[in-house]
Amino acid sequence: MGILRLAHVDVRTPDLDLATAYYTQVMGLQLVQRGTVEGSDAAWFKCWDEEDHHSLRLRYHPRAGLDSFTFRVESEDDLHDFEKRLEAYGAQVSRVSRGEAVGQGESIRFEVPSGQIMELVWEIEKTGNLLGKRNPAPAPPPDLPGIAPPRVDHLLVNAEEVAEACKFFTEVLGLRLTEQVLDGNGHQLGVWLAGRTNSPHDLAVVNGPNGALHHWAYWLDDWDHIRKAADILAFNGVQIDQGPTRHGVTRGNTIYFFDPLGIRNEVFTGGYWVDPDKEIITWTEQEFGKGLFYYENVVSQRFLRMHT
Amino acid sequence: MSDRILRLQHVEVRVPDLELAAAYYTEVLGLVETARSSSGGAEQVFLKCWDEQEHHSVVLRQAPTYGLDHMSFKVAERDDLDYFTDKLQAVSVPVKRYAARELGPGWGEAIRFEAPSGHLVELVHGMERVGNMLPMTNPPPRPQDLVGIAPPRLDHVFVMAEDVEAFTRFFMDVLEFRLTEQILANDGHQLATFLERSHTPHDVAVITGPNGGLHHFAFWMDDWNGIREAADTLAYHGVEIDVAPTRHGVTRGYTTYFFDPVGNRNELFTGGYWVDPDFEPITWTEEEMGRAIFYYHGQVNERFFTVHS
Repeated sequence: MGILRLAHVDVRTPDLDLATAYYTQVMGLQLVQRGTVEGSDAAWFKCWDEEDHHSLRLRYHPRAGLDSFTFRVESEDDLHDFEKRLEAYGAQVSRVSRGEAVGQGESIRFEVPSGQIMELVWEIEKTGNLLGKRNPAPAPPPDLPGIAPPRVDHLLVNAEEVAEACKFFTEVLGLRLTEQVLDGNGHQLGVWLAGRTNSPHDLAVVNGPNGALHHWAYWLDDWDHIRKAADILAFNGVQIDQGPTRHGVTRGNTIYFFDPLGIRNEVFTGGYWVDPDKEIITWTEQEFGKGLFYYENVVSQRFLRMHT
Repeated sequence: MSDRILRLQHVEVRVPDLELAAAYYTEVLGLVETARSSSGGAEQVFLKCWDEQEHHSVVLRQAPTYGLDHMSFKVAERDDLDYFTDKLQAVSVPVKRYAARELGPGWGEAIRFEAPSGHLVELVHGMERVGNMLPMTNPPPRPQDLVGIAPPRLDHVFVMAEDVEAFTRFFMDVLEFRLTEQILANDGHQLATFLERSHTPHDVAVITGPNGGLHHFAFWMDDWNGIREAADTLAYHGVEIDVAPTRHGVTRGYTTYFFDPVGNRNELFTGGYWVDPDFEPITWTEEEMGRAIFYYHGQVNERFFTVHS
């Protein structure tokens, strides 16, 4: 049993049309459908290689922010097992029935110790990728607009008490700690956690205000695609926050940038293989700059302080 | 519940010239020698890739002929060895158990059995951890003193079987691998199948051919540019390149194939895609087999089908 991977991120945006234009034309996601959520206009998006119904939901709200984030579990029985473990921990768990949420079946929802709403789901409506299952080309159609990442990769949230969040995600939800940044007193400033993707992170937590979203990231196949993505972002006048550069933590290659309403996105590639018994990598506070941005070796204040 | 089989742990290959093969695998491919030993009177060289934490991922074994001695998969928990022993015995497959270090230096506790294709298969737990070449505190992303191609890790093994369907059923039903892709003949039978445990397109694959045959084993590279640079290194050293850098239809991977100095085929591989446990398998038809294997050229050289070890 276990948590498999990030399935979707649900976000509030104060300008749904502008955000939709950005996520389809610049990021190059597929618009799956439009509709309403709790009386607000909403839109659902996915990447070209994703078989699930969606990996991003935007809904109109005067204030940008994170509604919730959803992970897929490894088997159908896992929902019940996690519900019991969460209740034993003292979390309030609510069940969402099939038919209540677009594109997926039954799920459980709860608040994590740092205040974000997390959801776990097994049954997801499979709508297929753009290639099909019979003699599929290895690459997407060449006329996809924008960056067109194949899939969503991971999410980074803030927490006032990183150690408490880490304990919750590892002990209650069974995520695996791969890397951590420790301050001079041995307190965790940031933690990187893996589900079952054998990658350095599916979820990360960095010190900051409870409830906040730092960014979510899309996978790109290699550094050359990161470089091309930077060209596309600059051409479209998108504000680049950091990069293209390399992380010390995760070893990934990266660019950070902001959507038109100020929510941080990342494109990410690289990393390394993670066995379940892999020893944890530790970064010390004095090397935090290299841990964040290995080439620049600076702890960017905008990067650490700006969030949604 | 355990994650059961995690990934390919190692391959042991036979080589008629141990010193020549060891020189190639360390200086051209850029693996790290971790030990020398002998078993059953045959000299062995133990090798690992730089980013691997465990004692070995390739073992070279002095033998009169080339080919695959066995393939080994890592299991998550020690109890998984008992779990699979029971499953194998329930389908009348004899299983041999070995204590840690019994099979050689750095070796974990293991079980061994024969697949329907005659391949010796091992499941192992508790390999000696020797670390990668980086510290666990403030590690740089890559060591600086690597030689040769220096792939970070072993990726998959590709073998041959007279009865691909029997091999596939065994790996799926008994060992709990998942089918990601298959090439079907016009009459509907499987010509080749691709099987995974690591949520990637393949950890092991099989194609129609003589039982016990090794088609190739593959190392992971980080990207297409790494494949291109590797081809430069191979050509510089006069290594015989079987298939120059190109792309697969099956797995979507980027690849180059070449031969070690004693005739075992190696591959460098990158790319692929994420695989959920309920992934619907992809099917390639016989008339598209050329594109399935080499997408750009749409045809496969005879050598690729007929030469194996």
